[in-house]
Amino acid sequence: MIDNYIYVIVALLPLSALILVSQTNPYNALVIRAILGAIAALVYSILGGADVALTEALVGTMLAVTLYVIAVRSSLVMRLGILSKNSDSTEDYFTELIANLRKVTQKYYLRLELVEYPDRELLKQALLKREVHGICERSELSNMDNNPIYQTTIRVHRLFEILQTEFTFPDTEISYITIPSSEDKHK
Amino acid sequence: MDSILIAMILALLIPIYEAWQDDNIWQKMLAFASIATKTSIMMLVISVLRDDWSIGVVAVIILSVGEAGLMLLAHLIKRLNEV
Repeated sequence: MIDNYIYVIVALLPLSALILVSQTNPYNALVIRAILGAIAALVYSILGGADVALTEALVGTMLAVTLYVIAVRSSLVMRLGILSKNSDSTEDYFTELIANLRKVTQKYYLRLELVEYPDRELLKQALLKREVHGICERSELSNMDNNPIYQTTIRVHRLFEILQTEFTFPDTEISYITIPSSEDKHK
Repeated sequence: MDSILIAMILALLIPIYEAWQDDNIWQKMLAFASIATKTSIMMLVISVLRDDWSIGVVAVIILSVGEAGLMLLAHLIKRLNEV
């Protein structure tokens, strides 16, 4: 004989699964995945699969979600190379530029990680060696004007597309650079 | 006794709705804490109703594992915006 409440409890499983697939933010989706794991463990245990429920709780809720958060955190990131010391007159402009850039990347759930380099040469080298996804520096040509013009060079095409459409900050130029794929150097 | 379980299922729907509607990640974590505890308690109630101790032992383990998973996840999400 099957009790009535079992039907209601089993119906919670597709409900939480639908909530899970409707999420767009990866971190929110992972928290919902943990909720789905808790409900799945309940369903498995009332249907008599105590061992399956225990495995779902240990692996599905704890291990998989924890590992996925670490994986998403380390892969969903935009590394931007900057010079470690900006001249004082442009400091305000630069912090505002970075804040604006952060707003754009957050819309796509990317983290913006700033990597500092001591001089221009090392910055260029880092971009060519694929240590960073893009670099942001003051362009040399506009030193005469009062207006500081920053030059942002991106080597990942998708990031370039996103920034080109979303990033509208005055006096900043965004350009795309193709770096020839070198030998099997994969950092 | 079924009415107790139906009431618990209705109480379980509240954090599910909260996890669905609220976009703040900490609200979702709170909802997860609530759901993980409630489902384990429901398992314990069912094990007592059926007089089945194997479900009861699993429910207690899942209760503690759920809290451990919550703490791990909270620490990871807290450190997300650092570095």
